[in-house]
Amino acid sequence: MSRPSILRTAAWPWFVASLAVLVYAFREAIFIVPADAAQGDAGRIFYYHVPSAMLSLVFPYINFLASLAFLYWRRRDPLKALAADALALSAAEVTLVFTSICLLTGMLWGRATWGIWWTWDERLTSELLLWLLYAAYLTVRRYSATGQTQTIAAVLSVFAAIDVPIVYMSIRWWRTQHPAPVFFGGPDSGMAPSMLPAFTWNIIGWGAWGIFILCFRYALERRRQLAEQEAALDAIEASLEPTQ
Amino acid sequence: MTWHSFLNLSTLENRHLLAAYITVWAIQGGYFAWVAWQWRRTSRPRP
Repeated sequence: MSRPSILRTAAWPWFVASLAVLVYAFREAIFIVPADAAQGDAGRIFYYHVPSAMLSLVFPYINFLASLAFLYWRRRDPLKALAADALALSAAEVTLVFTSICLLTGMLWGRATWGIWWTWDERLTSELLLWLLYAAYLTVRRYSATGQTQTIAAVLSVFAAIDVPIVYMSIRWWRTQHPAPVFFGGPDSGMAPSMLPAFTWNIIGWGAWGIFILCFRYALERRRQLAEQEAALDAIEASLEPTQ
Repeated sequence: MTWHSFLNLSTLENRHLLAAYITVWAIQGGYFAWVAWQWRRTSRPRP
């Protein structure tokens, strides 16, 4: 079986399984987990905010590695470079989706819990910077007409990759208004056992969904690239036909 | 929590909880719908 047909066969079961896990995870987060003693029901935003925040720090590295592959292959093997570029673009869009969700759900939680929508705290600011870098990346991809668009975007992805560890470490390096790290944050970090199932199902569900949407977007970009190549070949063939 | 309290808009914390969950599904669903629409619009490559 060829690779595209394996992907096509796996796509629907993966899509359905992701949705099933997300429905179950929603049930856990809303109906099963008891309300947080300090935050009340607003604390349930955590189950959508934290998985999105974690995934918004994973997909940039797919974009970064694919961009490095593009830069390596762009003169050596243009066909492989095109595939790497399609993956980089797809990962950039998925990153923007998860970063947007992280920021918006964080603001909704902040207003309900802190009484403010936003503060220029290191974690929030570095995450906003990540969002801006990917917004810039996609704007360059959409509107630049230099012929070097993919190369400029690949270089931008390096800056974004530098910001990711800063976002991750911001609540460890500085005292921030943002809550302390839940995972790997020292002896005081960790999650109450009652919260763990809802969180686990949500991170599995959103992770599976992220992989699905990344693969779907990649397949679309490859289809678009092939359509452009075919159109270019047709135009060349038409220009070579003898005129009457 | 029940469906009734999840959809209850009387307190700020409930409104924000509902808004957060709707935001997530709207953004993810909107992006999926856009990719699916583009997929249908882009012609299939020749075999």
